[in-house]
Amino acid sequence: MNHIGPIFRALLRNKVGAVLIALQVAVTMTIIVNAIHLITSRDDLMSRDSGLDESNQFYITTIGYDQNYDARYVTDSDLDLLRNVPGVVDAIQINALPMSNSGSSRTIKNAAGEDAGDAGAAVYYVDDHAVNAMGIELLAGENFKPTDITWREMNKGDWPQTVMITATLATSLFPDLEPQQAVGRTLYTGDDEPMTVVAVIKQLHAPWVGWGNIEHAMLVPQKSDSVYAHYLVRTSPGSRDAVMPQAVAQMEQRDVGRMVLEHDTVNQLRSDSYRNDTALQSILWVIIVTLMIITALGIVGLISFTINRRRRQIGTRRALGASRGDIISYFLTENVLITFTGVVIGCAGSVALNMWLVSTFDLPRLNLIYLPIAMLALLAVGLLAVYGPALRAAHISPATATRNI
Amino acid sequence: MFMYYLRLAWLSIRRNPVLSTLMMAAIALGIGAAMTTLTINYLMSANPIPDKSEQLFYVQLDSWDPNQPYSEPNEPPDQLTYRDATQLKEAGAAKYQAAMSQSAAVVEPEGLGKKPFMAHLRLTHNDFFDMFEPPFLYGQPWSDEADKQGHLSIVLSKKTNDEVFDGANSVGQTITLMDKQFEVVGVLDSWELKPRFYDVTTGAFNNMEHGYVPFKLRETIEMPNSGNTNCWKSPEGEGFAAFLQSECINYQFWVQLDSAAAEQDYMSFLNAYVEQQKQLGRFPRPLNNRLSDVMEWMENQQVVDDDAQVMMYLALMFLVVCLLNTVGLLLTKFVAKSGEIALRRAVGASRTDLYWQHLVETALIGVGGGIGGLLLAWCGLQGIKTLYGDNLAGLAELDLTLVGIGIALAIISSLLAGAYPTWRACRIPPASQLKTQ
Amino acid sequence: MLTMNNVSKVFRTDTIETTALQSFSLQVNEGDFVAVTGPSGSGKTTFLNIAGLLESFEDGDYLLDGQSVKHLTDKQLSRLRNEKIGFIFQSFNLIPDLNLFDNVDVPLRYRKLSKAERKQRIEHSLEIVGLANRMQHLPSQLSGGQQQRVAIARALAGDPLFLLADEPTGNLDSKMADSVMSLLEDINANGTTIVMVTHDHAQAERAQRHIQVLDGKVTEQHNGPVTAVPLRA
Repeated sequence: MNHIGPIFRALLRNKVGAVLIALQVAVTMTIIVNAIHLITSRDDLMSRDSGLDESNQFYITTIGYDQNYDARYVTDSDLDLLRNVPGVVDAIQINALPMSNSGSSRTIKNAAGEDAGDAGAAVYYVDDHAVNAMGIELLAGENFKPTDITWREMNKGDWPQTVMITATLATSLFPDLEPQQAVGRTLYTGDDEPMTVVAVIKQLHAPWVGWGNIEHAMLVPQKSDSVYAHYLVRTSPGSRDAVMPQAVAQMEQRDVGRMVLEHDTVNQLRSDSYRNDTALQSILWVIIVTLMIITALGIVGLISFTINRRRRQIGTRRALGASRGDIISYFLTENVLITFTGVVIGCAGSVALNMWLVSTFDLPRLNLIYLPIAMLALLAVGLLAVYGPALRAAHISPATATRNI
Repeated sequence: MFMYYLRLAWLSIRRNPVLSTLMMAAIALGIGAAMTTLTINYLMSANPIPDKSEQLFYVQLDSWDPNQPYSEPNEPPDQLTYRDATQLKEAGAAKYQAAMSQSAAVVEPEGLGKKPFMAHLRLTHNDFFDMFEPPFLYGQPWSDEADKQGHLSIVLSKKTNDEVFDGANSVGQTITLMDKQFEVVGVLDSWELKPRFYDVTTGAFNNMEHGYVPFKLRETIEMPNSGNTNCWKSPEGEGFAAFLQSECINYQFWVQLDSAAAEQDYMSFLNAYVEQQKQLGRFPRPLNNRLSDVMEWMENQQVVDDDAQVMMYLALMFLVVCLLNTVGLLLTKFVAKSGEIALRRAVGASRTDLYWQHLVETALIGVGGGIGGLLLAWCGLQGIKTLYGDNLAGLAELDLTLVGIGIALAIISSLLAGAYPTWRACRIPPASQLKTQ
Repeated sequence: MLTMNNVSKVFRTDTIETTALQSFSLQVNEGDFVAVTGPSGSGKTTFLNIAGLLESFEDGDYLLDGQSVKHLTDKQLSRLRNEKIGFIFQSFNLIPDLNLFDNVDVPLRYRKLSKAERKQRIEHSLEIVGLANRMQHLPSQLSGGQQQRVAIARALAGDPLFLLADEPTGNLDSKMADSVMSLLEDINANGTTIVMVTHDHAQAERAQRHIQVLDGKVTEQHNGPVTAVPLRA
């Protein structure tokens, strides 16, 4: 490794090939760093805890179509039925499913009047079984009482007296307090209708997976008097797949003027909601792997070419006493010099591309830790690619120097 | 001479099969990636109604909260209130105008073995059909009278007609929706809009509706609205009527204006309308009304997915890597041919002759790479369809234009990649390569 | 027909200047068979390259067929090479992918000739070198002597003013070398001028004129013995 000087000078005289490899490495690194960054930022998105006991839950969506459809009767009797299916831990009617990308939100204020601090929150209309059926954890306060539960009619403004909010929503509304201290406080919505916080929930996601305030959610003690109904059902661990078809079949058997529109596991709901993200990740992985292969093949091609051109020179070096190891280390050193130049340019390129993506598409900022990792990875790929041709170069006979080919 | 060059190119490609395959593979991979992502972006940004996109305008009125704009910096809301939608319709100041919103209802088909199903519907005025010109298989739009009175009329999509009436001419028949008997007045032929530009508020690439019903039914039989509803203040009073009169927005409004003058007139009309509403204590914000034609509206609503764009830029950079690779391999290949090049120079070929010969060779490699690239793009699109499922339905299909673009892109990029190596090959001094080395 | 007056050529790198030809003058007449000899580095290859319009020169002038070539463009030079000069190289320089027919065809392709005319010329010149029956063979299927014959056919096909041969027998064993020499002598006897660079003095003696180059200059020039050319029937 002590002849970097001559190798470097030789490179300067043989620019084109070196420039091509360096550029290729630089662009490859730019793409790979940003692709990995995208992949991990989507991972972060997807690994957020929704607060639910997802792997033991499923949902059923129904719609009443009969003219004499009695929503209150059907809802209560459906809940009775579901809660009594063997294996079911609990079940609730809910107006919107977390992660389903469809639901309703309201602006919540921490005081009455126009100048109060406010925050948007997803609203879930549920009954007193919600804590158990969702599998959420209360940080402080008490669950709704059965007597709190009222019926919510379409287009009626009656607002209940009590709510439960998530810890993140509590912090947004009362930045100076610990989330637990929000219990007992009064919040306002609409035309300053008051409601008391009876409990703070550790974690619960809003329905919209792309929403910036996904941890802002609020439970309201009302059942919906509506033709649409979602039921969220929680089963004992491991029994979901057996329970779901039974529950659905029992629901469908009832002749009460409503039909089951849809049912599926919450796990499936999650993967449907994040489908675009997982798809993007898979595509990026394919790009990264192919890119590595192409760059490696490009290096193999160009190095083989330069070695062929320098056969005689290599033979002469061998004749003058260079060992095989010397020849191999010559080409490895040369390649490290070229690849290193490439990855240094690649660092600048990666940051530049990320800055552009941040400003154009609001993507997250690059974590700089990826830069040294990608540099090392590409240097390794470069060395692997050059090793084969270098080995062949080392086997060029010293006699080549004196022979006419 | 071209045929001669073509034959030489073919011989040269066959001479180094590994190198040639490598080059074609590099171009094919680059083109494949670029075409896969270009296809999706191209289809997402396609003009859904090219003949009329400059005559159809989306109406926005700034009816929002005095304290903050609907969205920064000062964007008017993306939908109208029920009140404004109906009043603009009644005013009839444009050639055609239709309010609309998304709705849904359970359809109970008659006949054995047919199950009730959830139908996606569009509440709208009959001008909808004059503006967007969907093809009718049977019948026609409902009458103006039906618009005014809110008749139980419906225009079915072809698919729904196939499902419910087995594809027969169902005009005059009835269909049960929300437990009411709707009369079928028309049946559309196949009609797919990508993007479904007339309502992008719930997703620009959603499926087309099962049927279309008079807008008035929203009020008379309280058909539900399943789109997005946004309110900056609560309805004044209780009940459905109060809700309809509220400042909640959830209706789209389109007009057809055939000339720039008509567009100006309509804008003046809108401003006058808002001024008049201000007298009634509404519209607390400064005048900020908008008319956007179809493509302006698509741009404003950013119907092309960010992920799709990011992927396209990454894929184009990927193509750059593949081309750099090809430049290197072509250099290798042409230097290996320097003996032949020198000989041809010696026996009288000019630099231009040799430049053409190698350009043809490069282009032939480009064509090979392009064909490979299109195959890869096709596979890529199949893969993307599997990964995205319905989320990208209809947006991952190659058409003839795209195939043409793909081949052209391949040839242009291979010629770009070939320019320097060819130039260098033709600079080889003939004398240097003819002596025995 | 080929006249060089005080032609000079200097090779320059960053640090060194090498004078390859210095006030080089020579006159070749129609029908001549000129052998050029000289030690390695004497400038004989440079002379051949300049004579063949493959290299430029600095001072002096070179008249080919009465026309000065000094200020011609690449296109004009290419055309002159194509129409007036036939090259024969030590290592044959056949294109390995092309069969004999196509190899001989190469110079004709750069001339606007009809297909029939090209075919006629190719067949005729392959006949002269005795390989008309192997037109579809690839160069790799031939012996060295046969390959050089193809190269000669290629040089003749364009019906040139003169042939430039650079060590035409250098890669051949003595038996093949002899037959190639005889072929060149036959061609000369039929009226084609030949300029041949060689280091083989015995061969040089067979030529009409023998020129020696030393340090970039013509140092000796005498008319060699006119050999009795054994004409073949």
